[in-house]
Amino acid sequence: MAYVALSEAEKTFILHGVEEDFRCDGRSRRDYRPMELETGVVSNASGSARLRLANTDILVGVKTEIDVPSPLAPEYGKLEFFVDCSANATPDFEGRGGSDLAQELILSLQNAYESPQAFDYRSLCLIPGQQCWKLYIDILVLECGGNLHDAVSLAAKAALFNTKLPRVTATLLDAGITDLIISDNPYDCTRIGIETAPLLVTVCKIGDYCLVDPTAEEEGCSTVSIVVSVSMRNGEPYLSGTHMTGGGSMHRDTMQNCLQLGLSIGEQLNTLLTKMLKQEQDRVGPKRPKTVGFLK
Amino acid sequence: MLRVTQTKNSLLDGATIADNLYTTPQDCEEFFESLEKPSKDPKKFTPRKTFIRAGVLTTVRGSAYMEYGNTKVLAIVAPPHELMRASARRMNMGVINCYVNFAAFATGELESVPERERHLGSMLTKALEPVVCRTEFLNFQLDIRVLILDDDGCLLSTAINCCGVALVECGISTYDLITASTACIYRNHVFLNPSSKVEELLWKHRGVQIEAASGSAPEEHGLVITASMDTFDQIAQCQQCGYLSPETYVKLLDYTLAVNKSLRQLIRQVLTTRVREQHELDLREKTESALEDKRLKEIIERLQQKGLDEFIQSNIKEDPYVKRM
Repeated sequence: MAYVALSEAEKTFILHGVEEDFRCDGRSRRDYRPMELETGVVSNASGSARLRLANTDILVGVKTEIDVPSPLAPEYGKLEFFVDCSANATPDFEGRGGSDLAQELILSLQNAYESPQAFDYRSLCLIPGQQCWKLYIDILVLECGGNLHDAVSLAAKAALFNTKLPRVTATLLDAGITDLIISDNPYDCTRIGIETAPLLVTVCKIGDYCLVDPTAEEEGCSTVSIVVSVSMRNGEPYLSGTHMTGGGSMHRDTMQNCLQLGLSIGEQLNTLLTKMLKQEQDRVGPKRPKTVGFLK
Repeated sequence: MLRVTQTKNSLLDGATIADNLYTTPQDCEEFFESLEKPSKDPKKFTPRKTFIRAGVLTTVRGSAYMEYGNTKVLAIVAPPHELMRASARRMNMGVINCYVNFAAFATGELESVPERERHLGSMLTKALEPVVCRTEFLNFQLDIRVLILDDDGCLLSTAINCCGVALVECGISTYDLITASTACIYRNHVFLNPSSKVEELLWKHRGVQIEAASGSAPEEHGLVITASMDTFDQIAQCQQCGYLSPETYVKLLDYTLAVNKSLRQLIRQVLTTRVREQHELDLREKTESALEDKRLKEIIERLQQKGLDEFIQSNIKEDPYVKRM
């Protein structure tokens, strides 16, 4: 994680705040910071989203390509994640400084989206065994204000929701070769189902307590955190990828508490995100008002 | 069995046709049928044959070799040296770097090797960070290298076990002994310490999945790797992938913790015998050097008694060649 200079006194202050359930910015341990989400901001991508979680700023673009499905999964499309920690997020990322963090984010996203239960890969299939969509999910970290895992997964899910795949019709030619015809009408497109797409929730342990959505300062104080990937299916939360990070260890019971907290938060976050995405879509529709000033 | 050898025939118009050489989802199905299913009560599992030895290499301070069934892993720990990257220096703790390498013959699938090496390296670092007293080597970095000689499943957990032994052998202070194990669930069968075949089946699961009827609970599949330090019941790392309900997750976690406990006994025993062995070696060395000292002392005494010339004369053996001439 990005480095924040903190003195012992500051750390103690944060620790006491967490113990009192009243954090530096007035939140309780279960609260998220205000979030700002906008979809369809990049004109050259099939789908995009920009998420601002207090100081953390993420921009995601989804690009599409037609590919050959893997032989063992002829009915599945493909997803590929890429995270770029740009040097303007924090000076630490200059040169190759951000590559470790980027690698970690890519791995956790890949892990979370790995299972076909977590993401409906069938919807990306064009012709089983021959052609499928491959989605490139490019994530740009514009500013780093803590809690990157959560922000990145939220933004990725929103961008997937926003992704429009052009409608494709296939004609059979000789020798079993198929020819794809991509629709000319830009509004003739299909959407991707994201009901089960996972969200990552970082549960951070500071002192004896667990909290969600840590700021960069709080991350500096934490001994260990657990990244829980929550996928909702039939109204039940499922785990689709979990790992611990931060260089500490925890007791089994603590871990179970963290897991419970992460699951309940993930559930709430998921319903809220779906609701907001639907609302935005209904309000803005296909005709988006021209916005001036991209980053605002 | 599950190896994929895909060949592509490029046609003139750029389209490709995949040949039928690869294994099909049907083959996976058949393989699963042929697989020996574990009993419903995984507590009565048969442990894998385990062999651990500390100090196998003489060129490095800390080394360990572990065989876990057919999985063979060699770990090397060098004493900490000064940080090379200045940017990491601001941390108030030492830095651990783990590098995992596959031997060229370790695995059949060569394409994914670089990616797996990176992944294993980062997971290994995460698992070992809690166990090493990193405050003791501020501004230093500890390089841990792992060579995988043979892959038959449970790679990460075997590597963690092996590194734990190598760390102790190198004399790096650790908070506790670290042990790790793997458990996975596939089609409601719990496999403890899955072999590479089962693990592969799990990854390829995406292709052979039976469509879960809507409304019913989705089929769970997944893998849990737990590294624990049992003196204070601490979990150093717990990685999960796949799709699991929280209850199944906790169940698998408990299974792995139980395996860790039994492994801990073994590692402890190996380390104590190693220390004892070393102690005996030290003792023997000490007696030998004492004998040497004694011999030298005698010579000096004789020298003092006889005087220099006489002593030299008494020690000159007649040269047989000189005599002949």
